[in-house]
Amino acid sequence: MITAERKSMEELINCVSPYRRLLLVGCNECVTVCSAGGRKEVALLSSALQLHFMKEGKPFEIKEITLERQCDPEYVEELVAHIDSADAVLSMACGCGVQEIARRFKEKPVMPAVNTKFMGASERQGVWAERCAGCGDCVLGLTGGVCPIARCSKQLMNGPCGGSTKGKCEVDPEIDCAWQLIWDRLKALGMTEKYEENMPAKDWRTGRGAGPRKIVREDLA
Amino acid sequence: MSFQKRLLSGEFVVLAEMNTPKGVDTSQLIQNARRIKGRVDAVIVPDMDDGVMRMSALAGAVLMHQQGMEALIHVYCRDRNRMALQADLLAAYALGVESLIVVSGEDICNGDHQEAKAVNDLDELGLFGALRCLEQGSDLGGSELTGAPVFSVGCAIPQCADEKSLECQLELAAKKVEAGAKFILSPPVFDIGRFQAFLSKAKGLKTPIISTVYLLKSVGAARYIATNEPEAGISEELIRRIRKASDRERECVRIAAETITALKGLCQGVRIITLGWEHKLPDVLEYAGL
Repeated sequence: MITAERKSMEELINCVSPYRRLLLVGCNECVTVCSAGGRKEVALLSSALQLHFMKEGKPFEIKEITLERQCDPEYVEELVAHIDSADAVLSMACGCGVQEIARRFKEKPVMPAVNTKFMGASERQGVWAERCAGCGDCVLGLTGGVCPIARCSKQLMNGPCGGSTKGKCEVDPEIDCAWQLIWDRLKALGMTEKYEENMPAKDWRTGRGAGPRKIVREDLA
Repeated sequence: MSFQKRLLSGEFVVLAEMNTPKGVDTSQLIQNARRIKGRVDAVIVPDMDDGVMRMSALAGAVLMHQQGMEALIHVYCRDRNRMALQADLLAAYALGVESLIVVSGEDICNGDHQEAKAVNDLDELGLFGALRCLEQGSDLGGSELTGAPVFSVGCAIPQCADEKSLECQLELAAKKVEAGAKFILSPPVFDIGRFQAFLSKAKGLKTPIISTVYLLKSVGAARYIATNEPEAGISEELIRRIRKASDRERECVRIAAETITALKGLCQGVRIITLGWEHKLPDVLEYAGL
């Protein structure tokens, strides 16, 4: 999923304070799963903002709505009924959702309420960790299902750097050394010959190397 | 007199661009440089221009110094992060490079190493910030330097497809001037009237403008630019002039020289770009009376 964390109240108050009528929009997808911008977080933020402006004695109206998917134009269209009664939109979706609302409603200021972080997985309750860098040329089949690009601090492609200690990365002892994980996993699978193969210098064009990317499926488009 | 001093004294400066080799044979570069020694104020050494991997600009500048010629180098953020940029800037100053041109750099996907990953840790304004920081005696990490460099830094305004993008580039140039740019390199000039219009728009920047003159190498090159960058102002008449000439190469040299002559009273200098024909520089200078 795409993970996100809500911005600080101070930053949010600062960015919405020029407006009197705010449309606060959540998303039912990734940000709901990582508890950053779903219906529940929309309600909490809405209350906090209203309380703040009430204390300040500033007139402030806020309307809450949570869309099924903010990155999907079909669902963003549901905002048509509400957009005119708002001076600005505060989106609790990832950057994709914020941009989709900004693209659809060009005349309306749209601000992000969360910082989009990474594509990751849940490790345990309340803990998410980066797993995929979206490089566009997946090597997980060669690396025992552990991504060296997303999980090695130096994005090394052919083994560890020498800075790891007891399976932990030199950048932070909380981070597992991706290459230690890869080696352990290949050994357990009896696939250590994969480790012997030298991976050539990566072609970054499949990632962001050739600019913003697009997928066009002729059979669906 | 150094490039900086000439610029400050308001004299017309003449700069010639010279690319480093793709390889270690520097004989052609040195030979071409020697031919124009004393006839230009300084050489500009681009750094992997057009995204094509070649010997670094810093090495090119040092080679120019060894010939007794001043050199300016391009600096940009595509290939180096803030650490590498700062390290190379300190190295450049220590090796005698006092003038720089901050450029945006061609995108990796248009070069000859398309699979490479671009860095772009800083942008152009961030690079100006790094330069200012180094000049004030510390690095971007806040550590004090043992000896601070002092550079004369310029920037460039690219060819703009329309008024809107020119407006945007002029705004950006104003920010660069505020960040420390001491001179501005113009887009290539093929039409003096258009350049005068550009100058009047750039007047507000209150910064010396150094014009750019390309040596068109053929009818094909002129036609290519005219088709793909109509805003450059290459007229049909100009293309016809090259086509009808008995010696087309010489005609191209003459056109570049005439453009330089026409620019002399209009701006504060010229950068001559030969697009690989550095050996023609002496002729261009000769015809231009330089």
